[in-house]
Amino acid sequence: MDSALAFIPLFPLLGFLVNAFFGRRLPQAVSGGLASAAMVASFAVSAMAVWQLSGLPIESRAIEQKVYTWIASGDLAIDLTFRVDPLSAVMILVITGIGSLIHIYSTSYMHDESGCEFARYFSYLNLFASFMLVLVLGASFPVMFVGWEGVGLCSYLLIGFWFKKKSAADAGKKAFVVNRIGDYAFILGMLALFAQFGTLDFQQLATRIAGMPVETGVFGLLSVAALLLFIGATGKSAQIPLYVWLPDAMEGPTPVSALIHAATMVTAGVYMIGRNAVLFSHAPETLTIVAVVGALTALMAGTIGLVQNDIKRVLAYSTVSQLGLMFLAMGVGAFGAGIFHLYTHAFFKALLFLGSGAVIHALHGEQDIRNMGGLKRELPITYWTFLIGSLAIAGVPLLSGFFSKDEILYETFHQGHVLLWVMGALTSLLTATYMFRLVFLTFHGERTPHAVPSHSAHAAPSHPAPSHAAAHPAPSHSAPSHSGSHLHDAPPAMAFALIVLAIGSVLAGYVGVPHALGGHNQLAAWLAPSFQAIGASAGEVAEGAVAAEESAAALELTLMLVSSLIAVAGISIAATIWLKRRAIAEAMARNYPGLHRLLLNKYYVDEVYNAAIVQPIRIGSEEALWRRFDVNVVDGAVNGAGAIVASWAGMMRRLQTGSVRSYAGSMFVGVVVILGYYLWK
Amino acid sequence: MLDSNLHAIVPLLCVILSALAVMAAEAFRSPGEDMPLGGLGLVGLIGAGASAVALWGRNASSFNVIVADNFSLFITLLLVVVGVLTIMFSGPVVARDGLPKGEYYALLLFSIAGMIMMAMANDLLVVFIALEILSLAVYVLTGIRRDDARATEAAFKYFLLGAFSSAFFLYGIAFTFGLSGSTRLDRVGAFLAAQSMSDNPLILVAIGLLLVGFAFKISAVPFHMWTPDAYEGAPAVVTGFMSTGVKAAAFAAFTRVFLSTFEPFTGDWAPMVWALAVVTMILGTVVGVAQSNLKRMLAYSSIAHGGYLLVGLVSANDIGKAAILFYLLAYAVTNVAAFGVIALLGTKDRPNDELRDFAGLWHTRPALAALMTVCLLSLGGLPPTAGFIGKWYVFSAAVSAGYYDLAIIGVLTSVISVFFYLRVVVMMYMVERDAALTPPVKIAGLGMAALVASIVAIFYLGILPSRVLTFASQSISTIF
Amino acid sequence: MSETLIFYALSGLAIGASALVIGQRNPMYSVLMLIASFGALAGLYIQLDAPFVAVAQIIIYAGAIMVLFLFVVMLLNAPKEDGADWDQSHPLRLPAVTRLGSMLAVLLVVQLTWALTEASNIGGAVSGGHDGGTVSSVRQLGRTLFTDYVFAFEATSILILVAMVGAVMLARREGERS
Repeated sequence: MDSALAFIPLFPLLGFLVNAFFGRRLPQAVSGGLASAAMVASFAVSAMAVWQLSGLPIESRAIEQKVYTWIASGDLAIDLTFRVDPLSAVMILVITGIGSLIHIYSTSYMHDESGCEFARYFSYLNLFASFMLVLVLGASFPVMFVGWEGVGLCSYLLIGFWFKKKSAADAGKKAFVVNRIGDYAFILGMLALFAQFGTLDFQQLATRIAGMPVETGVFGLLSVAALLLFIGATGKSAQIPLYVWLPDAMEGPTPVSALIHAATMVTAGVYMIGRNAVLFSHAPETLTIVAVVGALTALMAGTIGLVQNDIKRVLAYSTVSQLGLMFLAMGVGAFGAGIFHLYTHAFFKALLFLGSGAVIHALHGEQDIRNMGGLKRELPITYWTFLIGSLAIAGVPLLSGFFSKDEILYETFHQGHVLLWVMGALTSLLTATYMFRLVFLTFHGERTPHAVPSHSAHAAPSHPAPSHAAAHPAPSHSAPSHSGSHLHDAPPAMAFALIVLAIGSVLAGYVGVPHALGGHNQLAAWLAPSFQAIGASAGEVAEGAVAAEESAAALELTLMLVSSLIAVAGISIAATIWLKRRAIAEAMARNYPGLHRLLLNKYYVDEVYNAAIVQPIRIGSEEALWRRFDVNVVDGAVNGAGAIVASWAGMMRRLQTGSVRSYAGSMFVGVVVILGYYLWK
Repeated sequence: MLDSNLHAIVPLLCVILSALAVMAAEAFRSPGEDMPLGGLGLVGLIGAGASAVALWGRNASSFNVIVADNFSLFITLLLVVVGVLTIMFSGPVVARDGLPKGEYYALLLFSIAGMIMMAMANDLLVVFIALEILSLAVYVLTGIRRDDARATEAAFKYFLLGAFSSAFFLYGIAFTFGLSGSTRLDRVGAFLAAQSMSDNPLILVAIGLLLVGFAFKISAVPFHMWTPDAYEGAPAVVTGFMSTGVKAAAFAAFTRVFLSTFEPFTGDWAPMVWALAVVTMILGTVVGVAQSNLKRMLAYSSIAHGGYLLVGLVSANDIGKAAILFYLLAYAVTNVAAFGVIALLGTKDRPNDELRDFAGLWHTRPALAALMTVCLLSLGGLPPTAGFIGKWYVFSAAVSAGYYDLAIIGVLTSVISVFFYLRVVVMMYMVERDAALTPPVKIAGLGMAALVASIVAIFYLGILPSRVLTFASQSISTIF
Repeated sequence: MSETLIFYALSGLAIGASALVIGQRNPMYSVLMLIASFGALAGLYIQLDAPFVAVAQIIIYAGAIMVLFLFVVMLLNAPKEDGADWDQSHPLRLPAVTRLGSMLAVLLVVQLTWALTEASNIGGAVSGGHDGGTVSSVRQLGRTLFTDYVFAFEATSILILVAMVGAVMLARREGERS
């Protein structure tokens, strides 16, 4: 078993290779089945690895596999080492487990793609999972970086999967470019740590950092490095200011959104901070920034989510918002709580996205919730699973989201960040409200198919989206072929994934039942060793935490009650407005047009970025440097006359007066400057 | 370098002899007869490669001016790789475009010989002669499509400016000779180390002029102006060859001269090379963003890559020197393959090198699109490709030498550069093919084999780089 | 003293003639000026105690190559360089640009002059101990050429070969090959 870790990312990689090279010749069942099997196999290996891990004593709970020495020269040696410790154990289970379900779901969802596209889709999906597994299993920064860049690339390919839709191709590009900005900071942070410590292995780094003083009130090297890494995390995990790509990322096929939002990619930033918990705890100033950014993002995305009309866009903003809560947890030092929420969120967010996919699938690509309604009767499986997911994300007691969200809020309050707690609580309220707005508008009431011009209609003819039973009788489906307005519920493969995830959304939280409720919070105890340097007695710290928690049980119970009330309040608000008196919503939109427009347009952040950053760069590069400098000076001489006159004389003329002189002039300037510099000294 | 015999020139002789054989075969070729001239060249190159492997670790030297230490052998092997790949790509292209076969291969081999000579030269005079051999051959290769006005113009510009820069280089050699009384690098180095010359302005003038000569060949800003024109005008195969081979040879001599002979003056020349690296990286990247011709875009990209190599040179530590070698190899394999794709996609009437010619390539020729993607990702420095390891090495060299500013600028520019490599990927995967454009041609088997070999090499260098890195470290330990 | 005077006279002649080479519109004059420049250089070589180089300079450059140049110019029958209107209107012909160019040239000359005077002031311009000792006699020259510089000498043959192949390649008429 010692050497099996490499198989975890290797299985999906093999799946990718097979599908990439032979996929177009394989039947759909084979290529899709192969991809799913690769994920399931990877899940099985992960489960075995975690089982083995849990058998080890707490102090040395890590399994390492050094595959080979990747880069080595002089004092710099980087091994390609995979390491499973409690933190990455949680991550690999989430990625492979939920990833497998999404793969299975996709075999049905992408059914109508042509064989070639189908194989392309699954090859990307497998590659994506593989890179994500490398990211979480990597025992050092460079290995993590391989995964980090890889998921960025794959997300770009997957979001732009339906490239014939311009919005999809643009969204893919946006995701990639924004991620690159984050990556820039990430590499710099990595280089800063390397320059200081001479190693990039997480364990060694943690040990060395643990010996350094905590940078309270100062902004030293550790704080700078942590801040750079955090900026990298904001790119991957969609936080202010780099969150803009995630809402657009729903242009990809819906299962991809589920994969990106739930199991992979966006969790990378949270994971990375958890992985470097020692570094971040030594940089309290940076941690404060993390917490504030997280809380702000949570609140802001929540407000935007309130008014969006695209079913996937609402979910996308809810992801941003929930990620904000995770960063809030990280920022107040509650690393365990953040990872706990990441873990439960993976279940219900995957469920919600896959459920929305089932809705879109049934409605032939319709995504505007104003055109939905009344789907409860026709899509029962989808409805009930979606409802469970919504209850979970809203934080209704006894479902998974309740425990994790509550722990974050409790920790925030407990650490004395009352203002942040208020923001977090407000986010919870908003979450419950917009999620149930979504539920009520989509599934309740009467169906209003053409309330507004369909957002996705224009794209329908040009992209091979899941335009379904109408075009194809879908013989492979067990569901009988309905005609006309009858819709059919999720086919078996999709239903299976939905039901499993629904069960998960209910039960996942029970690994972290707080002590106040008589639980043992096993997850926190399990994760605790990952957030300390090796050598610090993990058991002691965990016990200390336990003791502290017991003393605060009363406070926790109070807060729990408050958040339960908040969840109920949010659902009630949604019920009042969107179920009973829909006029209220319209009246509000009318009475506060400015606010409504501001939210609808997502605070105009995209526009501001475009005006402030994108345009100047584009203009600077194209106009000033290229058009002025290169085209006028260089090309002007060559192409100025228009078509090239292919006669020697004409060419020699242009050569003589044109560019060569300016080229030589440029060289001459160089010579004079170089000599001048040397002689000046 | 104590035993002086003829062993050291064997790799060089192999290439020169194969070039002469090509010329002789061409002379005796009856009209219309098809001779495997490229194959002759391959034989010579493989001979050169084999003898280089045999000479590894021997530190042979001939005539006191040609040294076959590990450093030059590493570059020799690199050049052999570049040459073999180029000849494999050339086969279909030469036939398609009706290039004069004999002259083409002869000049190609002569220029490789010049490059190897430049890498092995231990004498400034030999460096200069080698530089001229490779330059003359490359000038002519640039303009080998004589019916194409752009190609002729490019060759002419390249020639004029090359002559201009050679004059500076020669002037620098003259100053060095005047100061030290020798052109031999080891003697100059010993002389400079023994003598206190720091207050003599002439040594700085000599360094400056030599720097100009090298900077031109590696197309560092502001000596880069010829690069986009020459790269655009030359046939794509030749562009791939000269953007890698010339750069490798020039960097080999550059490194040898500046890091061993002028090593005592590192403090003097480093700031200027630092400045060159900064402007080269920035300008190459920023202007590259706005290009719509792929060859031109890759020309700016190659300028930027020259900047990254200069970062390794400025760092001047062991990691930096090994990084130069590794980076050269990674860049060479990648760039030759990228230009190989362009070359294979062209037709006789149309080079097909505009960005929009690549639209929808994935749908018409998926394998080619995938291979091109790998090349572009490697140029952009994304893991797990060769380009990533190269960049990683260069930047960590800069960091450990304390050049944080270079590392920051380097990372920033490489992040920006991904944007323009990505544009090609976007074109290939995410844009519908313009029906009006000519459909992509059928690809010859030899070219495809070369492409696959390059891709395997890119992944090999990216995933299992340690072996090659060990060789690179061994190489630098012999001379510095 | 007289040696210095001759040196300055010859260098002045060489520089002036070279300037006239590029300053002429008539190619024939340019070629003749080039011969004058080479002649002056040969004089300088004699002054530097390198009679063989001086003779070679006259025989090869002033003799063979210049005759070739003259033939080419006469065969092309180009009495005057073409100077059309666009020549004057080109942006690089603007007075400011031209002035910048000349300023750069002057700067370079100033830099080199300064460096040389500075170097001779501190007395470190030239060191002794050249490879192969003095090379005044033809015998010595031949010996040096075929011992110390034998590789460079042989490598030059490759250079010339490449130049020849290239020239033939570029000069051949279109469609000459089957």
